[in-house]
Amino acid sequence: MKPRLTISARIALLSIILALVSNLALVGFIWKQTSADAVAALHREIVEQADALRAVWRTGALPALADAITQAREPGDVSLVLAIFDSRGHRIAGYAPEHLAVPLADTPFRIAVLGRDGVWNVREAGYTLHPIGTDWLLVGRPLDLIEAQQVAIERALALAVFLSLMLGAGTGLVLARYVAGRLNSIVAVIDAAGEGDLSRRVSLVRAGDDEGDAFDRLAERLNAMLGKIEQLMAELRVVTDSLAHDLRSPLARLRTKTEQAVLIADPAQREAALGGLLVETDLIMRMLTMVIEISRSESVTRDRFTLASPVELAEEIGELYAPVAEEAGLRFLIEVEARPAPLPLHRELMSQALSNLIDNALKHGASGEQVTLRLREGTEGIVFQVEDHGPGIAEADRAQALKRFGRLDTARTTPGAGLGMALIEAVARLHGGRFELGDNAPGLVARLVIP
Amino acid sequence: MSRKILIVEDDASTAAYVAKGLAEAGYAVEQCGDGRDGLFLASEGIFDLIIADRMLPRLDGLAMVSAIRAAGISTPVLILSALATVDDRVDGLKAGADDYLCKPFSFAELSARIEALVRRSDRAASEPTRTKLSVGDLEIDLLARTVTRAGKIIPVGAREFNLLEFLARHAGQVVTRTMMLEKIWNYHFDPGSNVVDVHIGRLRRKLEEGFGTPILHTVRGAGYRLAVEG
Repeated sequence: MKPRLTISARIALLSIILALVSNLALVGFIWKQTSADAVAALHREIVEQADALRAVWRTGALPALADAITQAREPGDVSLVLAIFDSRGHRIAGYAPEHLAVPLADTPFRIAVLGRDGVWNVREAGYTLHPIGTDWLLVGRPLDLIEAQQVAIERALALAVFLSLMLGAGTGLVLARYVAGRLNSIVAVIDAAGEGDLSRRVSLVRAGDDEGDAFDRLAERLNAMLGKIEQLMAELRVVTDSLAHDLRSPLARLRTKTEQAVLIADPAQREAALGGLLVETDLIMRMLTMVIEISRSESVTRDRFTLASPVELAEEIGELYAPVAEEAGLRFLIEVEARPAPLPLHRELMSQALSNLIDNALKHGASGEQVTLRLREGTEGIVFQVEDHGPGIAEADRAQALKRFGRLDTARTTPGAGLGMALIEAVARLHGGRFELGDNAPGLVARLVIP
Repeated sequence: MSRKILIVEDDASTAAYVAKGLAEAGYAVEQCGDGRDGLFLASEGIFDLIIADRMLPRLDGLAMVSAIRAAGISTPVLILSALATVDDRVDGLKAGADDYLCKPFSFAELSARIEALVRRSDRAASEPTRTKLSVGDLEIDLLARTVTRAGKIIPVGAREFNLLEFLARHAGQVVTRTMMLEKIWNYHFDPGSNVVDVHIGRLRRKLEEGFGTPILHTVRGAGYRLAVEG
């Protein structure tokens, strides 16, 4: 495997490259543009000069032209080349090489080395060459000035490269430090979670209701995930603790009863004792199934949902329980106040939740006279609601009642594993709804709200 | 000729327990411990029933059932599994199983379901459609949906009629509470209370009040049986 750069180094490198590229592009453009502009200006200037001088020649012939040439050149100015050559290329007058190195032909504009001797050999110049009678008029300017500009720009270019390297490295380092800092705070939390500490959260940089940057969004998701994991772990702990406690007692009872049954001599009595053992075993099995069902309902996927009519669901489960309620001496009413359209539900789990609701109402509301299963449509969605007129649950105890295995008597002596409410809540959560307990004045009203 | 049952189960003690019980009930039992052998044996098509576990070595139980069905073999299959949630059960039935029983199970429940499955395939073969069921002096008209006993009309509700029809179709056999919950109400969970008993109790009062002999019997530790004599 190739050795890989750290993310910080890569970010630094990237910012260096970006700064370099943008600086080079800018300076390069200026370099190219100034050079082209300078040459164009030169062209214009010498063409104008040549036209003017030819006009002088046409009116005043060679002597006038020679005068004009001397006047046109300021003394000591070596950047303007102005001269008259004879037909063999020898200088007659003006400032130019002794002997012309470029071919004697009518030239509108060209860049070339004008002479072979001395300084002329190394200087390129832009020039025009025009015939005047048998002689030739040369107007030109060496490119020295333009070259000097170019050199200055090139120097600036080199400086720009150097600066952008420094600048890139600088911003790269700052950026890398920043990113690494933000990432490290997230990594630290993940590491802690990996080692079992689920309580830590990534602190957010944004303030107030601000949307936050990408790191904040990542941190938020991570925090939410950790929260969910923490909640699940806590629930798992409750389940295992409670399993240990709640299974221990029925198992202990089972064991005692078995021991007693073994010792009974009378066949009829032994038969009865053995029947009791079966009941006890079934109770334990029911608890186990329920715990598994609750745990599984936390992870059921939506593809298990089928389109079901809430009305039918309520009527079916109500029909199942109506005789049971009547047998227990209670009036049982099914009130359908709304007929919502069928919606995706987990029919079995939903029915089981309703069945638990009714079962609870029948058990704990036995002192009241009436149990009602009501289906209505509220602002938050569909509400399945079971009302009884029993003793109800005090407001302070309601949260406890919703907890898995949470039974209101701490000694856990009455039968019923207290799992019912927890299952209902899990089913509500599975459907994106919630489960709440309220006061029926008197009695309890349990609502399953499905949006 | 005794009926042949194939048990595909990798847990030796469960297999032995089921095999012993079924042998005592008069079935001929064959056993194997993994899914591929199970598929191989089942494809002979000589069994009246296959009892299969889900988590089997070499070939998963559900895959085995699907393969059996894909091969065009319609031998009834009962899945016996520790995977006990409602969705597991749905998966099992979707794969082509005829019934699904969760471990741990009571033998009474298992044997009632086995009997129902075996008789069902018999019935399907011998008597295609019936419009009347009768058990002793009890007559059930499936078309008119009326019930008479000794010539006297007994008024029953729609659900009670379904319940009675189910019992009558399995006349003489034990029908368990969970079987009724599954078949009549289509619920696969345990409602916990004596829900089914209450419904049966009402039906029984209608069937037996004013008549001399009981006809709907309680089988202790198992369920109910509709039959002329106890």
